[in-house]
Amino acid sequence: MLSPERMAKLAHRLLSPEMKDRLHNFHFEDAGHGYDAFGMHPSAIHLGIGLFSWIYESYFRVISKGADKIPAHGSAILAANHSGNLPIDAMMLWNDVLRQTHPPRVARGIADHFVPALPFIGTLFSRGGMVGGSAGNVRSLLNQGELLMIFPEGVPGIIKPWEQRYQLQTFRVGHAQMAIQHGCPIVPVGIIGAEEQLPSLFSSKRLGKIFGIEAVPIPLVPVPLPVRYRIYYGEPIPVQERYNPSQADDPLILKEVAEEVKAAVHVLIQKGLSDRTGVFQ
Amino acid sequence: MNVLVTGASSPIGEQVVQRLLRDSRVAHILAVADKGVPFSIPENPRITLTEIKFKSQRQLHTLLFGLALKKSVQVVIHTSQAESANREGDSVHAHNVESLRALVKFSERHPTIRRLVIRSSGAVYQVQRDLPALISEDHPLNMAAGAPQWVRDRVEADFTACARMGLSTLQVVVLRMAEILASGCGSQMYDYLDSSLCLRPIGFDPMLNFLSLEDAAQAFQHATHTSEQGVFNIPGADTLPLTEVISLWGRPSVAMPEPGIYWMYKVRQHLRGGQFRYGMNRRRFHYPGILDGRRAMDVLRYVPSQSVSWPELKE
Repeated sequence: MLSPERMAKLAHRLLSPEMKDRLHNFHFEDAGHGYDAFGMHPSAIHLGIGLFSWIYESYFRVISKGADKIPAHGSAILAANHSGNLPIDAMMLWNDVLRQTHPPRVARGIADHFVPALPFIGTLFSRGGMVGGSAGNVRSLLNQGELLMIFPEGVPGIIKPWEQRYQLQTFRVGHAQMAIQHGCPIVPVGIIGAEEQLPSLFSSKRLGKIFGIEAVPIPLVPVPLPVRYRIYYGEPIPVQERYNPSQADDPLILKEVAEEVKAAVHVLIQKGLSDRTGVFQ
Repeated sequence: MNVLVTGASSPIGEQVVQRLLRDSRVAHILAVADKGVPFSIPENPRITLTEIKFKSQRQLHTLLFGLALKKSVQVVIHTSQAESANREGDSVHAHNVESLRALVKFSERHPTIRRLVIRSSGAVYQVQRDLPALISEDHPLNMAAGAPQWVRDRVEADFTACARMGLSTLQVVVLRMAEILASGCGSQMYDYLDSSLCLRPIGFDPMLNFLSLEDAAQAFQHATHTSEQGVFNIPGADTLPLTEVISLWGRPSVAMPEPGIYWMYKVRQHLRGGQFRYGMNRRRFHYPGILDGRRAMDVLRYVPSQSVSWPELKE
């Protein structure tokens, strides 16, 4: 891993003056040595934006709509559909939130348990704000007033076969429970384009066992295709106004909220699909 | 208020005694050292120095119902522990666990002692990839079958104290402290950083937290003066990744695959007799584990304020 000083130097070379100004003041809780308690470092955020600029702007040519619906302050949960065999959708959403919010906010990705155990990748992601998907981590971040980025479909969403593209998998209820417990809104997000970025030949269950997940998809193409990404944000679902924290243990309410979020994401996906004239346009 | 401090000749015990001396609410300190470890605390009319063998329950009984009763001790701060990870066996267990069991039992029926503040360790917690990085007091404990006695003793001592909470008028406070990065405090990392070259697992750079001796003493002082009981995490002011720790200590490091590191440190321990055991720290070198100190902040009003004395920052 690069040291924070080297990351800062590299980011300085990659970022435009406007972007440097923009990124100057994002919410960050320094735990004492320039890192937050989960390992996020501002230089890594700057470097991430610098490195992904070309991919975001020129390769995937991301169109973003409705980012003003993301709360400017306080805890909130972004709940998005997950697809594409590699978590590029998470990277684009992370970039988009930092670029489109005022003041800029870092979407703290909640990853599956196997991600922090991956050499290099786990460390790299944690410097960018990702945390392992345990209830304790999510609780701590929401207590700190952070914006979370959750993919309620989990691994089944990202590895689903080509013929199931844009069909939402079962939404887990963890995000609903945390939102009710902490009294924060859920912002539905529809991501269009990721489904076609990396079509897979088949999924290997044997490889999946190594990583402790269901299966690992084997892609048809060596690099992701330059599809056009569309990221649509929906109206925040104000669960904090409808439920009190004691209702966070009611399985029926959790299911109901998760279904509502799923329906909202579905509407955004349909809107995005009707807006586009082709996969690459 | 009169306070008894065990382990008073250890770096942490000494720091506690010195802090209590500056506290006007503390009238007298009964400083008890482990037999054979010389005191470095200067003489003071507010301090009575004595020494006992902690593994001897008879000596402990004589102390509590003799000198401590005479001095009307109200609060006992227990910091005494066998620090070395290399020492194992019944004698070490008697010091770490049985002496604590006896201390709790004697304190419960003691006529003047009303509060017992016990030093525990963040090492009692399990660290693994699917557990929270920020460790709260209800985090799973390290009950691994293959854990070394150093860890098992600390978990058992912690349990022993927790099991008596609320069962008598004695208020029991357990302080689970982050690693104190100092000599003589049982710090595995201190010994790790003592090497001229630090080996670390390739591809991992977990977040770690360290406590300074000053903040550890501060936590004991706060716990002495409140009326609350329970378990409290005591984090330090330094939260940083492993590579930064090594760099601030002024050591070079080499990242290498895991089996290599394990064997290199095994050989080092065999040749040099150091305290650091890679097997004991393996998970900490892969996954983050930071003590969440919110409860201590809310209840004890403890806020870490003193950073570890990093050699590179001094220069």
